[in-house]
Amino acid sequence: MTNIAGAGSAPDEVDGRSVATDTKDGDKPAKFVPGQPDMWAFVLFETLLFTSYWVVYLIFRTQNHELFLQSQADLDLRIGVFNTIVLLSSSWSVARCVQASREGRFRAALTNAFLTIFFGFVFLVSKMFEWIKEIQMGNTFTTNEFFQHYYFLTSIHFLHVLIGFVVMGVVVYQLWSPARRSQQLVETGATYWHTVDFLWVPIFALLYVVR
Amino acid sequence: MSATFNKRLLVVWLVLSSMTLGYVLIDRSVDEGGTLRASAVVTVSTIVIALIKVRIIFREFMETRHAPVLLRRLTDGWVLLMALCLLGSYFVGMAVR
Repeated sequence: MTNIAGAGSAPDEVDGRSVATDTKDGDKPAKFVPGQPDMWAFVLFETLLFTSYWVVYLIFRTQNHELFLQSQADLDLRIGVFNTIVLLSSSWSVARCVQASREGRFRAALTNAFLTIFFGFVFLVSKMFEWIKEIQMGNTFTTNEFFQHYYFLTSIHFLHVLIGFVVMGVVVYQLWSPARRSQQLVETGATYWHTVDFLWVPIFALLYVVR
Repeated sequence: MSATFNKRLLVVWLVLSSMTLGYVLIDRSVDEGGTLRASAVVTVSTIVIALIKVRIIFREFMETRHAPVLLRRLTDGWVLLMALCLLGSYFVGMAVR
């Protein structure tokens, strides 16, 4: 675990990011894995899991095109677009949090961490609003195949966002006190949060836009 | 340098958001009135745009462009795998229905 306070080797900068320069090939900055490698294993595993489910969804969809198209007409693309941009904004703010923390600007890092949590909260409220709207329209989990996939995919993603709050809580806890600050843990938390964001991107495309 | 990097993140967010807004144009482009119509072109372009967005998030937000070659290849490989799985299942599904 790398402690930010009193970091060892002389830093260089790549696009404003401090990177250790103790490399063998002179001018080139050292390559680094953002966060803990274990988190990357988790990211790739989660992506495989979701991709498998998207395959199932697309195969079912092609076998029952008309039903999926009719049901899809009940979804509001504007809410989907809004939710996607909110999550992209949260990814942007957590990337700024990582950068600020790396540069030792911990107040800015904390502000961006809280901004990320705020965007996550907006996403959750918007998602619940959408579910309520669908339920009021009579579209529930048992309505048809399309809505089973819709509720399953959106709720399993919702669960990942909830876990994201715990992860961001750890990031805030780390940043709060100089004694605890670990850049690697901040990057690990950010990697998880970005995963929540990029998994939503295909979910949104497959549920709302594909024909 | 810090300002430059922030500008880069802003540009990345703008590109990703614009691509998301682009879906508004794609959506309904083949529909007739309120009736949604099947379209391979819309489906394929929607999936390709989504995967380009995923790769941008990997490289820029998740910083894999500065990562060791193994992680860069793994994440790029994963995006290709997703493309193969999604487009493959769509076309296989369409062929056997």
